[in-house]
Amino acid sequence: MPEQHPTLILEEVTDPTAIVQAQAQGARCARNMAWLQAHAAEIYPRYRGKHLCIAGEALFVADTPEDAWALATAAHPEDDGRFLYYVPREALARIYAD
Amino acid sequence: MRINGTWFLGADGITRPVIWAQILTHHGSWIAAPFLVDTGADRTVCSAGVLATLQLPPLVAQERLGGIGGIVPSVLIDTQVRLLQEAGGPITVRGPYAAVTAPDALDMSVMGWDITGLFAVIVDQPGQVVCLVGQRHRYRIAAD
Repeated sequence: MPEQHPTLILEEVTDPTAIVQAQAQGARCARNMAWLQAHAAEIYPRYRGKHLCIAGEALFVADTPEDAWALATAAHPEDDGRFLYYVPREALARIYAD
Repeated sequence: MRINGTWFLGADGITRPVIWAQILTHHGSWIAAPFLVDTGADRTVCSAGVLATLQLPPLVAQERLGGIGGIVPSVLIDTQVRLLQEAGGPITVRGPYAAVTAPDALDMSVMGWDITGLFAVIVDQPGQVVCLVGQRHRYRIAAD
């Protein structure tokens, strides 16, 4: 028998401060994402099996996500648009559906 | 309500539809994370990297998630996903959500049917469009 999935609750944010913070964080994340995409061809083949964190439009690499995150946070503490991406060891077609 | 995504070039050279979201951490801050838009996934699942960064205690230690590769180790966490609308304030979708614990299981988090089912989903690579559409927004299919 299939498991019962938890019910998710959707809410609209109305607090002006939270809205401004979320939008600013989104803009910083978009800049980091654009930077990674622009440098993808040189970064991905070099760091297979590594965890990347992009912050301040710069790359931070480590063997664990915690370490990559810590390196990025130390270098760019102001950038809350940083994000993690794991480079799989092998480049192969992926099926994600669970 | 329109939430825009992007086409993201992954490490395998394949471009996939992604929604950029923010996830609530144990400390009350929000971290940015890409979510693969997977219309075949039943559940939204955080990657192991995101799980480590959130520092949230697991609600359930052995949530069962299965796919082509069999059952992967995972946990259930109580958090919120914040999505940015094209116009207007963000929306939050309160969990709980599953998260995998093995780094190789997912290169990025996956947005599954539990979230995407709340919207109309447009994943149009020729048109370079990825978006979630709901409430007062509609989409139209037109012939030239």
